[in-house]
Amino acid sequence: MTTLSHKPASARPIPNPERSLITRLNMGSGTVVGILFAVITYYLLRHHFGSPWRVNHGMDMTNTHFVNVTILCTMFAWSFGFLVGIGALIGPFRWLIGKDLTAEEQLYLAGDGQGIKRYFKYCTDHKVVGIQYLVGVMAMLGVGGTMAMMIRTNLATPGSHFIAPIIYNSLVGLHGITMIIAMIIVSTGPFGNYIMPIMIGAADMAFPRLNALSWWVLFTAIPVLCSAWFLGGIPTGWTAYAPLSDQAGPGMNAFLATIIIFAVSTAVAGMNITTTVVAMRAKGMKWNRVPIFVVGATISVALAIPAFPTFMVAMIQTGLDRTISTGFYDANVGGSGWLYANLFWIMGHPEVYVILIPGVAALMEIAPVFVRKPLFSYGAAIAGFAGIAGLSVLVWAHHMYMSGWMPSLNGPFMITTEFISVPTGLLFLVLVGTLWRGKPWMKMPMLSVYAFIWDFLIGGITGIYLSDVPADNYLHGSMFVTAHFHYTLMGAALTGAIGALAFWFPKMTGRMLNDRASYISFWLIQIGFNVLFLGMFMAGAAGQPRRVADYAQAFAHANLISTIGAYSVGLGMIVLLWAIIHSWRSGIIAPMNPWGSKTLEWTVPYPVPLVNFDEPPVVTSDPYNYGRSAK
Amino acid sequence: MAHHDDQDLLPTPGQRVGTFLKRKDVSQTFVLGIFFTAVFVVLGLWVYPHWMPNVMSKEMQGNEDIMIWFTVISAPIAGVVLAIAMESFINMHRGDTPPPEDGPGIKTHGPVVVIWSAVSVLFTIVAIVWGITEMNTWSSDALAGSNNALVVDVTGSQWNWSFNYPAQGITSHELNLPINQPVEFRVISADVNHSFWPVQLGVKVDANRLSTTIARTTPDKLGVFDVKCAELCGLNHAYMETSGHVESVADFNSWVSQAKATGGTQQ
Ligand SMILES: [Cu+2]
Repeated sequence: MTTLSHKPASARPIPNPERSLITRLNMGSGTVVGILFAVITYYLLRHHFGSPWRVNHGMDMTNTHFVNVTILCTMFAWSFGFLVGIGALIGPFRWLIGKDLTAEEQLYLAGDGQGIKRYFKYCTDHKVVGIQYLVGVMAMLGVGGTMAMMIRTNLATPGSHFIAPIIYNSLVGLHGITMIIAMIIVSTGPFGNYIMPIMIGAADMAFPRLNALSWWVLFTAIPVLCSAWFLGGIPTGWTAYAPLSDQAGPGMNAFLATIIIFAVSTAVAGMNITTTVVAMRAKGMKWNRVPIFVVGATISVALAIPAFPTFMVAMIQTGLDRTISTGFYDANVGGSGWLYANLFWIMGHPEVYVILIPGVAALMEIAPVFVRKPLFSYGAAIAGFAGIAGLSVLVWAHHMYMSGWMPSLNGPFMITTEFISVPTGLLFLVLVGTLWRGKPWMKMPMLSVYAFIWDFLIGGITGIYLSDVPADNYLHGSMFVTAHFHYTLMGAALTGAIGALAFWFPKMTGRMLNDRASYISFWLIQIGFNVLFLGMFMAGAAGQPRRVADYAQAFAHANLISTIGAYSVGLGMIVLLWAIIHSWRSGIIAPMNPWGSKTLEWTVPYPVPLVNFDEPPVVTSDPYNYGRSAK
Repeated sequence: MAHHDDQDLLPTPGQRVGTFLKRKDVSQTFVLGIFFTAVFVVLGLWVYPHWMPNVMSKEMQGNEDIMIWFTVISAPIAGVVLAIAMESFINMHRGDTPPPEDGPGIKTHGPVVVIWSAVSVLFTIVAIVWGITEMNTWSSDALAGSNNALVVDVTGSQWNWSFNYPAQGITSHELNLPINQPVEFRVISADVNHSFWPVQLGVKVDANRLSTTIARTTPDKLGVFDVKCAELCGLNHAYMETSGHVESVADFNSWVSQAKATGGTQQ
């Protein structure tokens, strides 16, 4: 690794391309143009197709169909208008007339020296995009978590009626989709954008404008998803099974528009991250010297590239069913709900690994630094990720064992599913191998490694029962499933992301994350989490279906345990949020490399210069050459 | 710690293994491993029989056994993972500065990776063989019982279940079954997807619009079981439940004739 000299960023003159439209565009202009587009579209279509405030949206499906045209077009018009208004399309427009942005304009878009304003603009600097994702994800987790608290409050006692069933069902669905979206981006968004390019010694992402686009496209989905509440909610859960989704009221449009917009965002981000890693690594960073987080994040987004389009297609078909009655999923006219279920799970199972892999990879990046040992068997780690990614596209119908779609395929799908144990086992081997004979420096990132091992072990073992066809006869659709996937998505992937935040916080904010507050939050979250889902395993094993607003007296104890655990998690999250805000504003100033790590991002100062490195770094070894008698 | 690395210099594999086993961290990890394995074995054996409801069919017993024994056979693997994690946790370095000295520079260990992979493949094969054997038992039982199976047409609709006994010519919102007679549920939906779940009978199948799905079991205990919907189906999904009864053949027959007497429909 090379030593770097650098000039302070502020020495650069602030570019100010005179009279260029670009200087006047930001989130505000985006919002104004977005609303304008939406309002115009709404008024143009209202007379033709009706408005949601004019028809009676009861169970009569034909009545609501044309209204859905108005609603969907209004939503997409908002999204498109926002992108026009924030200036996302100026570049493509210039290409149409045979020009491009001037060098000055491009520098202006990178936002250098523009202070806090650049976070509210179409900014191409990957570090700005990383912070935008970080704040966005925290907001989503906050909203999704609040919904979880309301769900658990309603379920604290049987027959509580704290929340009416119609609102409860919407809460379940919107909690689900908010958390799924947040968890898909929770590691690759903030750390994949901010840290990863520096980690591989690049000046920026391969396509900086697409990078900004991926964030702002995702941003436009947030108001769309929120609008579900004002359109009657969604009754389907986040799985949006048909034909219930065909039957659902206008709120369902918000869901499907969100997914379509989100799928565009992930496709753009996925291509960008993959290209960056393939094409922009520093000199000397051969494939066997790439930090494991970079490998994990790349495999994760590469897996998302084929997965999300099927969700998008599933949702486009739902939209067509709901607007022009195509009947893809309507058995009455020759369609099939199984078509939806297949499309959904072809996305749905890879998606859980899209979420999981970057979290695990971040912890694999962390463990060697704090144990002061090489990552145990880099090859096994890559085999584990690649094996999981490869198998994950062949297991989707294990979600459909009990659907009746193809009972004869249950055996084959059970075999592929069970074999995921093998690459998953390798991930455990890499982590415990790294811990073996180590004396880990017990800081917040390292604590997350331990929490991950416990949580993912429980998630993994319960997954083995669920992959078994006979046992799934009992467990499918029960609270047991809910507890299982929370162990993997929250206990494993979110724990990984929190560890990653604690680890990279000094590089992203220039300050150390407060130790005491993060330890308190860690134990509140982890103990609460295990109590919460222990209760839910009990309820599920006792026979409580998932997604129920109410339950029988027999499940009372289990649910009360669950709710108590949930409050502890909630409290822990508030403490963590406080720790983040407090440390970001007035934490201890971080040294350049507080953990003594050997990856490239710790060789640059804070604030990280616009092009990261003054001189392109040269890599001469893998980043894990810790240890006595290292060979 | 330095003497640990000396093992690599010992001449024979036997001596190296001997030295390895005598190390304090190895013996501690070993004890922890036994402890965690025992915890998981006890949990597996104790938890599911206590948490799960009455077993009222062979299928339900099969489900419970899978949960118990999959936990037990996972226990040694969980034990090893947790033991190594715990051993390193006990040896933690605290403070505000990194540890003064690096740990041993072990980059990988071929035999360990191979053994670990082999064990997980073996474990996976055991789980698969167990699952397939169980599936085969279920289908051969179903085939053997298909001649004298009681057919019940189950219809899910928002938000209740109804049961039609075609051979007996009755329709009811109550599900009554004679003990020890194979039963074949032919499940369909009147509207959106539901999932028919007679909990204590250990089987489940989705109710789809216009496609009949089948679940088979043989109730073998007298008593009450719960019938639930296991697929989110809209507003009152949580309340889409009823109770079923496994009765003696005589009781079942008298219920059938009573139902017929009241016009073939029993609410
Ligand atoms: Cu139902």
